[in-house]
Amino acid sequence: MTPTHFAFSAAFILGLAGLAFHRTHLLSALLCLEGMMLSLFIALSLWTLQLDSTNLSASPMLLLAFSACEASTGLALLVATTRTHGTDRLQSLNLLQC
Amino acid sequence: MNPIVSCTLLITLGLGTTITFASSHWFLAWMGLEINTLAILPLMAQHHHPRATEATLKYFLTQATAASTLLFATTTNAWLNGQWDIQHMTHPLPITLFTIALALKIGLAPLHIWLPEVLQGLDLVTGLIMSTWQKLAPFALLLQIYPANSTLLIMLGLASTLIGGWGGLNQTQLRKILAYSSIAHLGWMILVLQFSPALTLLTLFLYIIMTFSTFLVFHLNNATNINTLATTWTKTPALTALTPLLLLSLGGLPPLSGFMPKWLILQELTKQDLALTATLAALTALLSLYFYLRLSYALALTMFPNNPSGTSPWRLQSPQIMYPLALSITAALTLLPLTPTVTALMMP
Repeated sequence: MTPTHFAFSAAFILGLAGLAFHRTHLLSALLCLEGMMLSLFIALSLWTLQLDSTNLSASPMLLLAFSACEASTGLALLVATTRTHGTDRLQSLNLLQC
Repeated sequence: MNPIVSCTLLITLGLGTTITFASSHWFLAWMGLEINTLAILPLMAQHHHPRATEATLKYFLTQATAASTLLFATTTNAWLNGQWDIQHMTHPLPITLFTIALALKIGLAPLHIWLPEVLQGLDLVTGLIMSTWQKLAPFALLLQIYPANSTLLIMLGLASTLIGGWGGLNQTQLRKILAYSSIAHLGWMILVLQFSPALTLLTLFLYIIMTFSTFLVFHLNNATNINTLATTWTKTPALTALTPLLLLSLGGLPPLSGFMPKWLILQELTKQDLALTATLAALTALLSLYFYLRLSYALALTMFPNNPSGTSPWRLQSPQIMYPLALSITAALTLLPLTPTVTALMMP
């Protein structure tokens, strides 16, 4: 395992742990998702740089485009939930339990 | 919703799954999954109801987490052995991560909590898409990973069949019951995945046919809980006679086509010297059968206290299109005689 590999894996796992265990605000969940995507962006860019491969050089940009779409969808859902539930706390999302 | 917008969204939904089917490169497969998720979110939230919004949010969070974990697994694979091909996934660590990510994506047992709640917040047509079409793309990827982690898959499968049966016992909401039935069926598919991928595919297709007809029947009767089922005989008497059979077919009783996948899977597991696993899976299917039987009882054997004028809606012409339901319910009830043909096709 190279140091680069360890670095982006640790960043991703931190983001995933934050998403899984820090369940207070929706905004922090979205930030954790964004952090996961950015660590993947670093991983993809460094992979193309390290292997000098031109085939995959477009993939970090595609990843960024998709993660931007995902983040904007997340923000739109944040607005929608705040309008229907009155707050962005994840504890108030309990309508569907029965 | 504007018909043009909803048409575009439906086409994009199909496009995402098709991209995942057609891809041999992990990044393209991931893009297909993302397109798929992004296209179904507006369809889920179209009614602006608090329940619909909450279901959309929960679905978005789980699917985004699963998709990014999937991409993390494939990136790790690329860093470890420099390959992006779907077929060339050999290191055990990325394979385990990948299996867990897809288990979250389709809702297998330890990671299933989102599925009943999301399905409960949707209307029946979107729920139909959610529990049939959305399972295809993850399974297309799972079927291509051949040397899978065997203990993990068997644990996932057994836990899914157990929790799918157990969780549905205490429910009165039809959509939640269908979600738990979906978890149990996915568990059967995962159990046999490493021994016979063709059998997994057959189980998936039969599950899709049966769930399609169940959702259409409930949609026709506007039924979302068990009480409503007791009045369906006034609306559609013939269908009320067939629906208990359909539910028992989902439960896997012998003369109906739902028995075929369970039969073949138990045979395959016994052939692989996994008699204990096969016994446990067959026993947990009994739990599922209990709630299917309860639904059948409410449909066929209870009389709702109606006044005489309330018993006549079946005379009115229904405006809904019945041909897809007629075809799929026939297929869901009577495919068992095809078993020899199917086994002959599956054995190369």
